Amino acid sequence: MATKNLLYTNPKLCQHLADYKLRQGLSGYKSLQNCLKTTPNGRTSIYKWDTEIPRCCFCNGYQGRLFLCLICSSISCSSHALLHAQSEDGHDVVVDIERSELYCCLCSDQVYDPDFDKVVVSKNMMDMPNNTYTVDDGIRRSSKRRKVNSLMDLDFRKSKRLVSMRDRREKSCYPLGLRGLNNLGSTCFMNSVLQALLHAPPFRNYFLSGRHDRETCKKRSADRLCLACNIDVIFSAVYSGDRTPYSPAQVLYSWWQHSAKLNLASYEQQDAHEFFISVLDGIHEREGNGRTPTKDNGDCQCIAHRVFSGLLRSDVTCMACGSTSTTYDPCLDISLNMDTSNFSSIDVANKSVTPKENSGICTLSACLDLFSRPEKLGSDQKLYCQNCQEKQDSFKQMSISRLPLVLSLHIKRFEHSVVRRMARKIDWHLQFPFSLDMTSYLSSSIVRNRLGNRIFTFENNEADTSAEFEIFAVITHSGMLESGHYVTYLRLRNQWYKCDDAWITEVDEATVRASQCYMIFYAQKMLYYKANDGLSCMPLSPMRDPFFPIAGCC
Amino acid sequence: MRNSVNRPPTPDAAEDPGKEPTLQEIINIKLIESGEKERLMELLRERLIECGWKDEMKALCRAFIKKKGRSNVTVDDLVHVITPKGRASIPDSIKAELLQRIRAFLVQAAV
Repeated sequence: MATKNLLYTNPKLCQHLADYKLRQGLSGYKSLQNCLKTTPNGRTSIYKWDTEIPRCCFCNGYQGRLFLCLICSSISCSSHALLHAQSEDGHDVVVDIERSELYCCLCSDQVYDPDFDKVVVSKNMMDMPNNTYTVDDGIRRSSKRRKVNSLMDLDFRKSKRLVSMRDRREKSCYPLGLRGLNNLGSTCFMNSVLQALLHAPPFRNYFLSGRHDRETCKKRSADRLCLACNIDVIFSAVYSGDRTPYSPAQVLYSWWQHSAKLNLASYEQQDAHEFFISVLDGIHEREGNGRTPTKDNGDCQCIAHRVFSGLLRSDVTCMACGSTSTTYDPCLDISLNMDTSNFSSIDVANKSVTPKENSGICTLSACLDLFSRPEKLGSDQKLYCQNCQEKQDSFKQMSISRLPLVLSLHIKRFEHSVVRRMARKIDWHLQFPFSLDMTSYLSSSIVRNRLGNRIFTFENNEADTSAEFEIFAVITHSGMLESGHYVTYLRLRNQWYKCDDAWITEVDEATVRASQCYMIFYAQKMLYYKANDGLSCMPLSPMRDPFFPIAGCC
Repeated sequence: MRNSVNRPPTPDAAEDPGKEPTLQEIINIKLIESGEKERLMELLRERLIECGWKDEMKALCRAFIKKKGRSNVTVDDLVHVITPKGRASIPDSIKAELLQRIRAFLVQAAV
């Protein structure tokens, strides 16, 4: 049942809270601000008793939940909260001391008020000189945020026509766009990434509708090196209907030249993920220039960034004073560590991590949880806190501020240890879903949860992009670190295809699920379904010439 | 000390005759003052999340809410129902570890 939207709507104030607000306004909340303190685990507590511990005024108890009355500041425990409200008229609303959450004694239930949350949250966020992010700014930013779905202007009707022509030369009913890529000498890393790029819906539509004009591109620059042009050539070749395996030599050569400075040009096996990043970089270098030259890659209008770039948010909270500093970084993909928790025996005394057979399955959501879990920075990584004016222990939490159109997840299977001078591959199987909901990893969810039970929303980009994704490509790695093999599985119209260099075969879901995934590509649900709508063999209309060239194909 | 008849009684542990702070209270106060309690709470939270206890409790809460209906449940109800189950299902290793830590603290605090 889809109740997740209801989570973010404000529940109605209970009658008692509404009465309280009528009488007192926000003065009670504001006076509480001075007593708020952030505890090391991220909660906000009320802290105003220096010399003694808070105790219930009825029973002197100090254990369990204690509540502070907003009107008379007397403390009651959970058993006596009702008694307090009954003995004093109008003292219905209290605050949970440990959590800074509102509680109504007469309703005996937790209540929520966005104004209260605002007061608590704004204490948590600092006005830093380089980070001008305040609570109100959050609201303003979201309305000014550029529409992420700018690629919707690409006419999807046109794109359907582009790929719906059936090639009469080919007997089989494979969808258009499936073509093997020859291995040019340990280039399966390149082939696997290219196959995934060839089927990323907005990326594909851009090139197939001729948005990258090779003629103007050549004219604009004297040298032949343009990675985007080479990719365009590949798109045309792969979607031409010709099924004989294609050799992507041009791309390889261009990429060698582009990455020569990174010393990646060689005949050795490379890492597919590195190749992926450097290809997108190469496209950006060419396309990004001449357009909006912004330092912030998040707003870059080149096709690589428009499709793959998202925004990550990193919150670093000082454990002493609770102030948080937030930074935003654009990212082309998210690299995830594999979650080892299911594999450790809970042997607290020994503190050993022994992988047990079938003790648990490592899942993608566990890795995503690990990614967005608050991480305590080691004592050797103390950060300078502006508020305390000294170095303090802190913890860091990552979340996704803006999701890209195509979400690329990279599983860190290759461990390199400079200290121990060794590298190894983690062979564990990772279970991954075909439909992925990223709502709980968005900044709005993560930050909300960190601040306790809050109703207040301050990152308002849920309206812009949906968080539901559908998988369309998986790059798997088999074998050892030094001598492995990359294979891509593509999902087109609910049928999975295995792209092993020059060989393309139909496979079933089980095979894909059992594979050892290395990079997983998800497209926003809406884009995925639109893209796969017309991508199949359709009977040709008698009037159309079957050999009429597809746009972009020379 | 006698309270004036018109003045409402001020709740104050010290004024209550014959109520010596129990050993438990003394230990608790010492734990809080030194900040050890916060560290222990943090450790406990970490362990309970690791061993899946928190997720189990979450699932229990969800089941209870589903049974009762979302609008018929208050936080108090949940607390009353879940608390006994929660206390009973804490793994012994965690109890042992925390007791060990408290003992160690007391040893060095008693000096």
